[in-house]
Parts: sequence; structure tokens; C-alpha cells
Amino acid sequence: MTMAPVDPAARQPPLPRAQLILTDPPEDERIDLDVVFVGAGPAGLAGAIELARLAQNDPDLKGIEIGVLEKAAALGEHSLSGAVVNPRALRELFPDVDPAELPLRTPVMKEAVYFMTQRGAWRLPTPPTMRNHGNHVASLCEIVRWMGERAEAMGINLFAGYPAASLLTAGQRVVGVRTTPSGLGRDGKPGAGFSPSTDIAANVTVLAEGTRGPLAQAFAAWQGITSPNPQVFALGVKELWETKRPLDRVIHTLGWPLPRDAFGGSWVYPMEPNLISLGLVVGLDYHDASLDVHELLQRLKLHPLLRPVLEGGELIEWGAKTIPEGGYYALPERRVGDGAVVVGDAVGFVDVPSLKGVHYAMQSGMYAARAIFAALKAGDTSAARLGEYDRMVNASYVVRDMRRTRNMRLAFKDGFWKGAVRAGLMTATGGRIPGRRIAMAPDATAARRSGTPPTFAPDGQLTISKLDAVFKSGNATRDDIPSHLLPAADVDRATAEFYAHLCPAGVYEWTADGLQVNAPNCVDCKATDVVGPRWTPREGGSGPAYKRM
Amino acid sequence: MKIAVCIKRVPDTEARVKIAANGAAIDESGVKFILNPYDEFAVEEALRLKEKMGGGEVVVVTVGGDVSQETIRTALAMGADRGVLLKVDAMPLDPVPVARALADELRGGGFDLILCGKQAVDDSSHAVGLMVAELLELPAVGAVAKLEIADGKGVAEREIEGGVEVVEFTLPAVVTADKGLNEPRYPALKGIMAAKKKPLDTKPITLAAPGLEFAALAYPPERQAGRIVGEGAEAVPALIEALRTEAKVL
Repeated sequence: MTMAPVDPAARQPPLPRAQLILTDPPEDERIDLDVVFVGAGPAGLAGAIELARLAQNDPDLKGIEIGVLEKAAALGEHSLSGAVVNPRALRELFPDVDPAELPLRTPVMKEAVYFMTQRGAWRLPTPPTMRNHGNHVASLCEIVRWMGERAEAMGINLFAGYPAASLLTAGQRVVGVRTTPSGLGRDGKPGAGFSPSTDIAANVTVLAEGTRGPLAQAFAAWQGITSPNPQVFALGVKELWETKRPLDRVIHTLGWPLPRDAFGGSWVYPMEPNLISLGLVVGLDYHDASLDVHELLQRLKLHPLLRPVLEGGELIEWGAKTIPEGGYYALPERRVGDGAVVVGDAVGFVDVPSLKGVHYAMQSGMYAARAIFAALKAGDTSAARLGEYDRMVNASYVVRDMRRTRNMRLAFKDGFWKGAVRAGLMTATGGRIPGRRIAMAPDATAARRSGTPPTFAPDGQLTISKLDAVFKSGNATRDDIPSHLLPAADVDRATAEFYAHLCPAGVYEWTADGLQVNAPNCVDCKATDVVGPRWTPREGGSGPAYKRM
Repeated sequence: MKIAVCIKRVPDTEARVKIAANGAAIDESGVKFILNPYDEFAVEEALRLKEKMGGGEVVVVTVGGDVSQETIRTALAMGADRGVLLKVDAMPLDPVPVARALADELRGGGFDLILCGKQAVDDSSHAVGLMVAELLELPAVGAVAKLEIADGKGVAEREIEGGVEVVEFTLPAVVTADKGLNEPRYPALKGIMAAKKKPLDTKPITLAAPGLEFAALAYPPERQAGRIVGEGAEAVPALIEALRTEAKVL
């Protein structure tokens, strides 16, 4: 068994900033909007809806044009979350909607946390941060579609199937975005059905791209915006099952099948008694280069705790996405620029100990909308004026919650047991012990050793291969699309195999000719963007087509 | 030239269809709805004709609930000029009342051409377009794969078994679109913005009583697992036996 070190950081190409940030002025054949949101997820839609409502009631700003760009072919098709959602932000955003009409599934009544070994499961007391009373199981796809219908009815322009490829800038100001062209052949040249990119000029551009957004990364790098710690990520792989046996509680597990030096856990949530969301999340600072999150999830389903629930049922959907886990200390010191605001997962508004991000994303979008409204009113969309958003979000429960648990994820960087003890202390003292920042390194630099992965053969019923998984994601990307993934030129076998294990969609393969990239398989989880080949925006409508993820 | 296009909102062809608890409808949760793909060909053809003629009007008409507004907006975003929603509480299975409602709306509208998809991919009755022609007493050509219009006349090509049928007709007429007629455009950003401001007229109507109703919906039989009867020439008798007695195809 070889235990050679693997160093993905040495093979990671730099962010392609020249491609993501352009200094061209918008073309004459452009579309002029007042505000453009990049990404129709919970953050972008909440922001657009809040802004439209404020503008509707204002004599000066009535009739402003608000647009939301979305890379998926239809709203919600790239949205994926566990999810147990805190309804707080939705209630604030839709005060006139009967809470029973909000797009949420069952309220959490019972919950259980287990520590797992290969054969056993020990029930643990539910940590205070993980208690979910008052929260609801939900599908983020359904939430996004529902919000989209309301946005459309308010006159917001929803541009599904139109990803933003680049920021258009003038000096230090963001002046809009350019969409991706579509219909390019594998060689990058226009083919049948080619349609060129379109420029969108806007007074304010809101980056609501979600996790590991390329424009948000490029914006921070360009503006020299830093954070105390680098952002770190986890990869979550999720499945939706129709089961024969009902489940009456939300379940979280820790321990097996993860190695002790990896951070993560699983969830099992009933959306309906016989419709179950389950998934596994693993921090990307894991040390075994052959770790494969998709395969670990397949093994987990065979555990005596889960197998009886799933057996005889049917796997309906599959998907994957990264989660920004760095918390408070990974928040960029500013999330605004001249003509630009960053919201939601693109900032990293996720609280790992409570496994929550959806309501923070919405809330951040709403604060951004209020700051943008005031800036438009004043005729000044400078960073100084838009900075009101930073002040609002910093003073809100979003950052307050994240500060309280500021070191909790970070405490697990040295393994599960040390982390568990430290996390217990933090919970008991409201985050005061240890109060100082635990320093983190980027995931790409985590020490990794290659190992021989254990063999696993999916049965095609309870457990599935990565190719079957891609099919179950609804991905129908055309085969001859140019590759949107940018690996380094000199990827060696050990690093290529690390990518192959990491990528849940079977995009990477080591062949006799070197690294092979099966780009159409990509489901936009962004995992390898964190530690390896860069992910760049591609033709609209590519990638997965999630329905109830 | 004034062109009407009859369209319908249908479940996405990729959707995993589940029968609802009442056994006579599909469960719509998690199902994406789209503009019927054959109607998309019809809309595209209407837009191309208008562009070629250098003017005119393309009106899209549908029978459906409020949710069908979205389907009309899709056609408006592609470039149609205005939409009419004949609003009903529920869509009947029977094509006759739907065809009557469409014909009543289109009658006297001064349309030179009425385009429809040859079928809706949900109930696949292949009926509404041709019924509209009958009710309006207009010439009709079904399942057209190529269309030329000039000087008040049309020439349509239909792909039939083993060849192509060429049909000449006079306008006004009804033409239903087959696959291959064209490659429909994706709505452009400008088109999506413009669609919001185009007129969309909602007219509540009451449909005539249907003559057909859903008795029950059922899934197709599940595919049985395959079986290898043997290998090489020796397996042929066993294969023939199985095809004759089990599969009953010989």
C-alpha cells in the first residue's frame, strides 16, 4: 500500500481573473437594468423581491428594472440543500402570506443524533446548536420556484438559462455583467444554434452566485478584499428516496463511515413520511486522498440504521454541492464595492454547528436590497453608500449567530475527538472558550496521503455508481460542449486520482493519455474548484436539473 | 399576415410522472411544465413567416388555468406579439370542447394562417388542430415538416411512410407542425424583458360538457428482467421457443 503525499495546491491553476473581470465597456447592443442579481437562489431572489417591493412604494424608484440571471435552465434546477430551514427570513419577506402557505414541508417534531460505527449507532443527546424546534424540512428547489413565481408577478425580470460569465468594470466600479455565449462546439468555435453573449449594464450588480462563486472570488481578489481565515468548504452529496417505510424524525449522524481525521456527518430528513432526503457532508480538508464522498454515502445506506428505512424504496434524485464552512472568521471584511454587493453563500453566511444557511442567505439579500434602495434613492451607488449593507448584516442575527459559533468548525481541524471536546466547551461558554481565532489553512494545502481505496461495487438498487448518479441529477448537458473546467497542464497520476475520488459526478479520470475531463457530467458542485481544476461559467441550461432537492 | 398559434402547457417530457391519489390525474408536485414541444415548432414557424413577410402579427391562444400565463409568456418571449388565455378551471380530456373554445375565439379574427402543434405530448390526442379547422370550415394540413407560404397559397410537405407528400392549399388554413419543421429559438434576454409588456388577454370561459372522461390512469407494465437462453447456434431453438410461448411475438 502506497502512502505517498499528494499536494493538490502545487497543481492548482490560479483563478482565471482576466476571463472573469473585463475592462471592456458594455456593448452598444446591451440591456440596461437598474439592478442585476447574479443567481436566482434564496439570496438573489429575496434581494430582488425586497428591492421590488421597496421600489413599488416609492415615487422616484417606481418602475426600476430589476433582473435576475440564473445559470440553470429553469429556476431551482441548480438549488440543493438538506434542508431543515428556519422560516424566520421567509416570514419577514412575505409578511402577508399565511405561514402555512410558505413553501416548506413538515415541521420538525422529533430529532435524533447518532454516533455511528460500522455496525452500531449510539444515540447522543442533541447538541443545543442542532435543535430544530420551529424549523421545517424543506426542498430548496421548491422554495426557489415559489419565490420565483412571486418575483415574476412583481415584474422582476427572471432570466433563466443565462449565466454571468464576467464582470464588466470601469476603473474600480462594477458596471454590469456579460453572459456566457451558447452553442459553442468542443473546439470553442460557434456551432449550430450559436448565440453570442449579451452585456447587461446596471447601476448595481449583486453577486448571489451561491457557494464558491467565480465572480465573487474574482471580485474579492481584484479588490484586494481579505478575511482573517481563508474560506474552507465541505462537499455534500444528497439523495431523495421514496420509501416503503415511513420515517417520523430528522436524523443526524457523526462518525462512521468517515475516517476520524475528517469532519462531517450525515442527515436523514423526512419531507413526507415516505419521501426522504439523505446525504453526507465531508470537509474538504480531509487527509486521505482516496476519500470519496459519493461512495461513502453509498456505504452509509447499507448501515443497519438506514438500510431498513430505504430497502424496497426508490432513489428519485441525486445531487451534490459544496458548502462554505469557514464561518465568522472567513467572512470577507467587506462585501461591497462601487456598484457591487455580494450576498448569501457567495459570502459564506453559513452556520455549521446549526447546519443553517438558507435563511441567512435570504436575510443577507434583503439587507442588500435595503442598502441598494437607499443608494439608488440618493443617486450614489458607491462602495461607501452600499456599505450600509455591511453595517446592517454585521449588526444582525446573521453575523451574531456566526460569531457565537466562530471557532466550532475550526476546532475539528485536528480530528473528531479533540474537536468534540473543544466544541463542547464552546457551547457551554457561548463561544468564549477558546475565544481567540483558530487559524485555518486553505483546503488545497491540507496534508494528504494517497492510499489504496477500498473496492466498492454498487448494486444498482440501494447503491448506485457515479454515472447512474449523474443521470439521476437530471443532467442532460450536450456531449460536445467545450470544457468549462480548467486543470493545470501538468497533473500527475496521484493528483488526478485524488480529483477522480473527490468529484461525485465522475468528471475526472486518469487514462493512458493523462487526465481526462468529462466536462458534460459536471453538476456544478464546485468541489474541485476548491482544491484543483477551476470551474468557470458555461452555456446556460447545462448541468443538473434538480426538481425537489 | 396575421397568424394565430394554438399552444398548450404540458408536463416536461423529462418529468417523472406519478398518478395522483384520485387515480384520474397526475400528481403535479415537483413536475416542471413547459410549452408543448410541437407547439414550439408552430410558434417558431409563425415567427419566421412574419420575419420573412416583413410584418404582420403573431397571436398565441391557449385554453388553461392561470398557470398557463407562463406558457404564453414563453411564446411572447420568443417573439409572439400578444397572447389570449381562455381561462378554465380544469382541462378536459375530451379535445372537442377545447377545439370549440379555440374556434370560437379565432372565428372572425381575420387570421390568414392558424398553426398548431400536431399533438400535445401529454394526452397525445392529435385532434385539436384539425378539429379547429373543421369547426372553422378551413382547409387543414396535419403533421407538416416543411412549409412555404406565398401569394395567398401554401405548400406543405408531410413525411409519410416511404416518402414525402406535398400538399398545396389556399389561405386561410390550419397547419399542424411536426418535428423537423424548424429549430425553435431560445428566448433572448431582450425578448424575455419585452414579453412582460406585451398584451396578455385573460378571458374566463365555460367549456361545453365533455363527452370523454378519465376512467383511470395506469402505469405501463414494469419491464421484466432479461434472460440469457444460451449462446451460439445451439441456443436458437430455445430462443424461438421463448419468443413463441413466453413473449408471444412469433
